[in-house]
Amino acid sequence: MLPIAVDAMGGDHAPDAIVAGAKAAAGAGTPVVLVGPADLGERVDLGGLELIVADEVIEMDEDGGKAVRRKKDSTLVRAAEAVRDGRASAMVSAGNTGATMASALLRMGRIKGVNRPAIATIIPVPGGQPTVLLDAGANAEVSPEWMVQFAQMGSIFSRHRFGVASPKVGLLSIGEEPGKGDQLRKESFPLLVAASEASDLNFVGNVEGRDVMTDVADVIVADGFTGNVVLKTLEGGLKSVIGALLEAFGSAPEYRQHAEALMPALLPLYEMLDPETYGGAMLLGVDGVCIISHGSSSQRAIFNAVNVAREMVEADVVGEISAAMRPPDGD
Amino acid sequence: MNQGPIGRDEIFEIVRDRLADILEIDPSTISEAQSFAGDLEADSLALIELVEALEEELSDRTVGFRIEDEDLEDLKTVRDAVDYVHERTRG
Repeated sequence: MLPIAVDAMGGDHAPDAIVAGAKAAAGAGTPVVLVGPADLGERVDLGGLELIVADEVIEMDEDGGKAVRRKKDSTLVRAAEAVRDGRASAMVSAGNTGATMASALLRMGRIKGVNRPAIATIIPVPGGQPTVLLDAGANAEVSPEWMVQFAQMGSIFSRHRFGVASPKVGLLSIGEEPGKGDQLRKESFPLLVAASEASDLNFVGNVEGRDVMTDVADVIVADGFTGNVVLKTLEGGLKSVIGALLEAFGSAPEYRQHAEALMPALLPLYEMLDPETYGGAMLLGVDGVCIISHGSSSQRAIFNAVNVAREMVEADVVGEISAAMRPPDGD
Repeated sequence: MNQGPIGRDEIFEIVRDRLADILEIDPSTISEAQSFAGDLEADSLALIELVEALEEELSDRTVGFRIEDEDLEDLKTVRDAVDYVHERTRG
């Protein structure tokens, strides 16, 4: 397969952690090409990985769309162009999310029939399959029709990412009954019901915030504003709870001993809750695989992100979304 | 290659068709008076898609045609965009 293009300069720990993760993934058998400045090899050991040269970097605080227009020789733009031009099969970046999205959209293009791409993020579910939450922040304002597209794309992603045969799709609202929620939710509900009747979409109705980390739904559909608030709330909440637990465990010698005895049970739980385990979110609706990793990604997160990218390429998720979203007139 | 000034009507058709592609809507539903944000629900990224598409299409006809980023905020309606492009392609 074509290599996965990894933006070596994206993220808080770039380039060291990014390149280390890319090298680990390459060592485990996934072809990788780095995208970074010409002198990257002088700053960090590339371990023999190929380099696509790009001499600009889009900073985390830049406006995504404008930065992509201004910095045409940036690592993000060049990574997306590598996919467009058939030099890479997918791109991975832990850089500026808005700019990653804009690069992918403007260089790879949008899948015909998709109004706007959406960020599909992975929410861990203790004891079950993770939930796919989308949109996690690409579109602050959306229409009911886009919500249906998010549901369709999320279902395809869930099938291939987690092997769920018929993913249960829930609409995130403030009550289970169909009439609950604001205008967007009320208008989206009947459209999702209709799409369920007309296709293999498995819409199970409204879900609430408390259902996100349960197996009530495999795919949860939200506008990007709400989805992002939910995602960040969960991340922050989990971090606080885990921090408080660790502090309690260490607060007295006898607690520490008991905590150590529990570690074999707690560590897998911690790993399951750790966003780095999932590598990143996938931008669905663009004509190529684009994995958006957390800005704080470590070597491990990038290793996992590259592997997710490979899986999504091999499963031809983009091809399947294209087939499902094609307009009825077939053009 | 077709060189020389492009008529305003043709510019409207180009803007309308590119916009219809980007927003996945029927071109016949787009009129000059419509606003991008309010009437057409085009977000800032959709506008940048439009700008890039127009630059690509028109650079063949008008050498170096470019829409400046700082002018983007002034383009509120389809008419604004058509007038802007018309002005800049008149040579």
